[in-house]
Amino acid sequence: MLRLEGVSAGYGRIAALAEVSLEVREGELVSLIGANGAGKSTTLRTISGLLKPTTGRITLDGQAIGGLPPREILARGIAHCPEGRRVFPHLSVRENLAMGALLRRDRAGIAGDLEAMYARFPRLRERSGQAAGTLSGGEQQMLAIARALMSRPRLIMFDEPSLGLAPSLVEQVFAIVRDIRATGTTVLMVEQNAMAALQLCDRAYLLETGHVLRTGTGAELLASPDVRDAYLGGAI
Amino acid sequence: MDQALQHLVNGTVLGGTYALLGIGLTLVFGVMRVVNFTHGELYAFGAYMTYAAVSLLGLDFYLSLALATLLGMALGAAIEFLLLRPMRRADIDSTMLVMIGAALVLQNGEMWAWGGVAKLIPNPFPGTPLVVGPVSVLPLRLFVLVVSIALLLGFWLLLDRTRIGMAMRATFQDPETAALMGVRINWVNSATFAIGSGLAAAAGALLGPVFMVSPTMGDLVGLKAFAIVILGGLGSLPGATIGGFALGFVEEFAGGFVSTEYRDAFGFLLIILILALKPQGLVPAKERIG
Repeated sequence: MLRLEGVSAGYGRIAALAEVSLEVREGELVSLIGANGAGKSTTLRTISGLLKPTTGRITLDGQAIGGLPPREILARGIAHCPEGRRVFPHLSVRENLAMGALLRRDRAGIAGDLEAMYARFPRLRERSGQAAGTLSGGEQQMLAIARALMSRPRLIMFDEPSLGLAPSLVEQVFAIVRDIRATGTTVLMVEQNAMAALQLCDRAYLLETGHVLRTGTGAELLASPDVRDAYLGGAI
Repeated sequence: MDQALQHLVNGTVLGGTYALLGIGLTLVFGVMRVVNFTHGELYAFGAYMTYAAVSLLGLDFYLSLALATLLGMALGAAIEFLLLRPMRRADIDSTMLVMIGAALVLQNGEMWAWGGVAKLIPNPFPGTPLVVGPVSVLPLRLFVLVVSIALLLGFWLLLDRTRIGMAMRATFQDPETAALMGVRINWVNSATFAIGSGLAAAAGALLGPVFMVSPTMGDLVGLKAFAIVILGGLGSLPGATIGGFALGFVEEFAGGFVSTEYRDAFGFLLIILILALKPQGLVPAKERIG
């Protein structure tokens, strides 16, 4: 479905990604793991069009999408749920969800999806008229996920969905990610919490200083000694 | 007391146009982080376009006001496209210098096109004031007030109730995430600058017939617009509205009760006072809509 071939990108003269190649197949849940600054977020930002690749090729179903603006990427079915939630603090919860559906024109479909989000996240319904900035961290993460889903993506990219959440909420977020995949949406997820990410995913890529160091199924990477030493604190 | 009531009415008329000027300027700063030095010149442009349409082309007065506002929006869109878009990644100082240059070009262009002699815009309203109890107000000023408030309301509805308004507020708060939602940031910037410029041109078109039209009319008004915006808190739309009316009242009351000569000074005195006591402006950042 999504394929990166030798993609490099960066900020100014600093290259944050060096020739990254990876693939996400239809229906898969793929994790990107690695230390801070390994290029995980940069990978997602390059895919969603916030950064332009300097070299390499990004294709979606065989069509080149590298360097397209974010609007075009979203229109092709890739939603990006950014790191740090990034809800619009002074927009209401309902408006935040409407922002997620900005490119859609099917009023009835949008209304139906809004209802589905409220059914799935009852807290959001209770707070639909409230400014998103007044929600708790966990509620904001639910809102960010729901907002990304409002575009009806075929592929949804999560950047650190569990960051800064209490342990019980972390569980909940991963359950939601699992649910999303179960409904047929393909998932590409960046996670600091390598253990959880590897247990959750079908396949994973381990990034280090801007390139892919290792790849395999979640179980393979969990069993790999250097992954365990470097990212799982040695013991499982 | 009667005199106070009269000043209250005059201050409201003046405050309405100041509020238009203020929200136009603060909107541009809030969405684009651009300090728009051309704002006062757009005000003068609106007044000159009204003069041109009414006096030179002989068009209907009301049509001329609308035309001047639309031309102001077009000029704003052109400035955004030609000057600001290429400067998107430039630092704020360079952008400021470019905008100061543009303001000088606009002002000298006005001098060159219209000459230095002040112009009078004829208006269809009777010159005899309406008298209600102790208060008398010229019909033209009443018209200015009604249109200002209609524009303020219309602007608020646009921002609060429409998709483009929601996209503008989202861009105001987090441009990158707005882009991820599919917002065309360039488009929002053009629309923002055009609307901000249109509001300034509308204020000029409305006040042009009240006062006189001259090439330097934008100077003091541009300065006042900055004062209003800083008074209300940079980037705050409610703040700019409140600041606009506050400045209108202070100028009227101080002009009426203390000294007409120094009426402009009192406005700035108030601003110095408020900023000394509340440096973040009347409406602090966390309460800002946008």
